[in-house]
Amino acid sequence: MQPDHVSVLYRDHHGWLAGWLRKKLGNAPDAADLAQDTFVRLLANSRVADLGAEPRAFLTHIAKGLVVDHWRRQAVERAYREALAAVPHEHAPSPETRLLILEALMRIDTMLRAMPAQTRDIFLLAQMDGLTYAQIAQQLGLAVITVKRHMHKAFVACLAAA
Amino acid sequence: MPTSSRHVIINETAEWMMRLQCGDLSPLEQQNFEQWRLRSPAHAQAWERAQSVLATFDQVPEEINAAALRKLSRPTRRRAILGLCLAGATAPLVWRAAHDTPWRAWSADYQTATGERRTVTLADGTQVVLNTNSAMDVVFAGSERRLQLRAGEILVTTGHEQGQGGASRPFIVETAQGTAQALGTRFSVRCLPDTTRLAVFEGAVAVHPRLAPAATTVVSAGQQSTFGMHDARQPIDADVSDIAWEQGMVIAKDMRLQALVAELARYRRGVLRTDPEVAELRVSGAFPLADIDASLTLLTRTLPVEIRSVTRYWTSVGAHTF
Repeated sequence: MQPDHVSVLYRDHHGWLAGWLRKKLGNAPDAADLAQDTFVRLLANSRVADLGAEPRAFLTHIAKGLVVDHWRRQAVERAYREALAAVPHEHAPSPETRLLILEALMRIDTMLRAMPAQTRDIFLLAQMDGLTYAQIAQQLGLAVITVKRHMHKAFVACLAAA
Repeated sequence: MPTSSRHVIINETAEWMMRLQCGDLSPLEQQNFEQWRLRSPAHAQAWERAQSVLATFDQVPEEINAAALRKLSRPTRRRAILGLCLAGATAPLVWRAAHDTPWRAWSADYQTATGERRTVTLADGTQVVLNTNSAMDVVFAGSERRLQLRAGEILVTTGHEQGQGGASRPFIVETAQGTAQALGTRFSVRCLPDTTRLAVFEGAVAVHPRLAPAATTVVSAGQQSTFGMHDARQPIDADVSDIAWEQGMVIAKDMRLQALVAELARYRRGVLRTDPEVAELRVSGAFPLADIDASLTLLTRTLPVEIRSVTRYWTSVGAHTF
């Protein structure tokens, strides 16, 4: 969408959107960030040139997607923190390393979400647990060629999602 | 780079990643791989991206995985009942915990619960009937009318628009596998595990698989097609009894019992399964969806089967035990 068009929308709807997000998130700073991000997304969207008569519906649609991503990130962080709590102190990573790992987890999460459930399970067995295709096939009662098909699909999903 | 070439390269890269991980490349195949990689800068770049994707997984240390397993492993009730035990296979659950969270439920514009059916009328007069367990977002913009079907099944009757200058905005239904563009029609779209099934009852719909935009297929009234991310199957005849759910029924025409029970299971919470000995029995008839238990009882009247429930949420259809 053209920048001057986005500016007009920003002027007319940014305040309202931030308020809407505040109610959803219960948190003003996060709401302000996501409201900004919504308009940034609009700038980057080349598919839509104007929002028609109901711009707020479209804006909340984008905002909802960002809220879901936000909560996803929080959930991954929380799960990671819990996992860290179980690690003995000597092995705990430094704060910088933790941030890198968290970002890797978010990227992995995005890639995994692009796969259907069975493909994801097979992919995790191979990629994280280091099973061979033959072992996976035996474990799940599948033909090796089926495992190969799923792995191909999984790699396509990873490459397309990145 | 044109999108079709990009998708070809992604496919080829994925194929080499798989083969290298599988580890059974002959010396000749290894040579082929090297030649593929050096074919163009785009190919070399694609392989670099593949390496960085793989490196992402290496960035999560093993202790975290093992710890995540012990801390977060929470077998679902269904798993416990089925006694499924992927012995030794300990899929890391840091992100699984992040997935099974309730926020997914609220984020769709329209959604239905198990066994629920709902009709909505959109701003342009389009009528959409949502079947059980369905979720959809409506994204109407100045240039198009778009439904994003996140889960389940819908029946769409598009409304006719009088746009400025006479043209109406394109009407598009999007799923994980791609998009279907309607041409003033009545059609149903259903999300299946890896594919999307589209059936057209009036008018026509053009299907565009997400990763193969050149493989467009037109599905006309009376036809259905199943499509994945890469291709669309040749259209075959559609049966209007497939959307009998709109009238609150499933109609079976010489259907395998297992297939019928799987259909009924969509409308009922909990596990509903068929024992192998009776799976291949053939069934015909109309089964009401509002009362699945009554439909199951109906089955026992016409087939040599009985219904067994271990708990309210675990029911099997099996052979008579005497």
